[in-house]
Amino acid sequence: MLQVTNVSKTFNTPGGPVHALKDVSLTVNTGEFVSIIGKSGSGKSTLLSILGALDTPSDGTITVDETSIEKLSGHAQTKYRGSKIGFVFQQYNLIPNLTAIENVMLALEFGGYPASSRFDRAAKLLESVGLDTEEQKRRPSRLSGGQQQRVSIARALANDPAYILADEPTGNLDSATGKKVFDLLHDLSRNQNTTVIVVTHDLEIAGKTDRTFTLVDGKITTK
Amino acid sequence: MNVLTRGVKNALRSPLRSGAIVLMFAISIALILSMLVARSSVQAKINEVKATAGTNITIRPAGVMGGMGGGDPLTAAQLATIKSTANVASTTMTLTDQMGTTDTSLTPSLELGAFGKRQMRFESSGSSSGSTTTPSTTGSAESTETARPAPTPRTTVTGTTDVNSVTTNGGALNIISGTTIDANGNGSVALIGTTLATKNSLKVGDTFTAYGSTVTVSGIYKTDSVFQDSGIIMPLKTLQTLTSQTDVVNSVIAKVNSSDNVAAAVTSLKTSLGSAADITSEVENAQASVTSLESISSLALAGVIGAAIAGAAIVLLAMVMVVRERRREIGVMKAVGGTDGKVVGQFTIEGLTLTVIGTIIGIGLGVAVSGPMTTSLVSSQSTATSTASTTGTPTRGMGRAVPAWLTARVRPAEVLRTE
Repeated sequence: MLQVTNVSKTFNTPGGPVHALKDVSLTVNTGEFVSIIGKSGSGKSTLLSILGALDTPSDGTITVDETSIEKLSGHAQTKYRGSKIGFVFQQYNLIPNLTAIENVMLALEFGGYPASSRFDRAAKLLESVGLDTEEQKRRPSRLSGGQQQRVSIARALANDPAYILADEPTGNLDSATGKKVFDLLHDLSRNQNTTVIVVTHDLEIAGKTDRTFTLVDGKITTK
Repeated sequence: MNVLTRGVKNALRSPLRSGAIVLMFAISIALILSMLVARSSVQAKINEVKATAGTNITIRPAGVMGGMGGGDPLTAAQLATIKSTANVASTTMTLTDQMGTTDTSLTPSLELGAFGKRQMRFESSGSSSGSTTTPSTTGSAESTETARPAPTPRTTVTGTTDVNSVTTNGGALNIISGTTIDANGNGSVALIGTTLATKNSLKVGDTFTAYGSTVTVSGIYKTDSVFQDSGIIMPLKTLQTLTSQTDVVNSVIAKVNSSDNVAAAVTSLKTSLGSAADITSEVENAQASVTSLESISSLALAGVIGAAIAGAAIVLLAMVMVVRERRREIGVMKAVGGTDGKVVGQFTIEGLTLTVIGTIIGIGLGVAVSGPMTTSLVSSQSTATSTASTTGTPTRGMGRAVPAWLTARVRPAEVLRTE
């Protein structure tokens, strides 16, 4: 279970402090498929970053499976990300120098997966998201947006994370491809009991999730 | 794929970028190598000049050169001063005399020739050989020239504390028959030059007369010099006694403990002996050459330091730019579980890969450039390849690791949000 309690985040900017999150509290149960919606600048991505220990809150606590992640050291947070969290970004964020399969193998290496079985595991994951052997050998620049996002999902799944955090996963995709990616995430939640949290501004997608949190100016207004 | 293979592959995946960095490495290494080789060669040349000059200082009573000239002999106190001078490791003392036909039973083996006759044209007057000035037949001024008997050849006798000091090549005296003498003793023994021995049919164990005393032939020697082979070598004390010149020497060779200390020893001796002695050393002659070479050596050292600093700065800045360009990649690596150590490790391996390639090319360039550069400075050859590579490699490894380490400390959200 993931529990957010009174989390605030303030950015100090040259123009003065910006309160991205204000006293946010929410709970997500194991295996749930939830969405966080809101307008641009409402704090959605900031909240997702804090949930994934990519950033730290200014105030409040985030408890994941009885561990307060905001209190962890930088190294421990890295380990937490590698073992419990899988990220899917709107910009895919694949390593441009590595092929599709090498991108997935990188996550497996960081997760401590045995070197001897990384290739097979990565190939299997990519195959499961629809990339054939030839496509697996390509670098991101030679893959379509939809294919890159599939690689991103395969990489997120590499270490069997308990949580998938997806930031606008269909934002850069056409509607047909976006639907396929969404269905992929939905299947994960349904079939593998993986908790999926999707940040989106697409109300249609949000409507298909188990629950939706609405952020307005850094505050949760709807649960 | 592990961090090692990923690091190596990443280093080679961008030919233009990697090529530019490798070229910078190579030029930097080549410059350092060239400067090191040049400095090493100049240093070798300095040592060569110093070695050629040797460590000997020759001290003679002022105005004396061998058996010629005038002046007073060095006193026992002055000899003691020479021996106690700082850095003087040992001394060899020599007294040279010439025996006329009345001084020895030996027949000189050297013919006077035109040179000998000219040198001896004044010596008959007042000599102990008995010729005295005679009045001229006209009753006017006395004429010494016409009264002189014909000049006679002499036999050179050398008294020394080291028989090897008479050789012209600085090596050991070649004794072809018999045994050497105790040069520091006072026995009536002598070594005879092979030419003189042949002329007088002398063998080891034979005797001859010198200054009214009987001297035994201990050995017969041979050198590359006919002049030397026509002479006699005795213990210094023996010759001093036979010629009634107690404690008199006409040459002292002071051997200094190091070529670096010769100049200082010369200065010290000149101060202590003043105008009583003529002090000469080849090092003084070589000093001018050494000084100019040392200037080149200093310039080369400055070049090494300058090239190393400039190379390190260029490489560090290039690495900082490259690593900063890849901040997003670093952020992604950390987001998917990459630790700081893994990130730094990968970038360090990338840097080392480029370093190895750059070092190999740089050494090749350096070898190609340093030859002509060294030849233009000095003719001596030397190498400093290992020094250059060992100096360059850690610099470039650090150059890659430091910016990677600094960048790896960023929070992933910061990088992913802003870029």
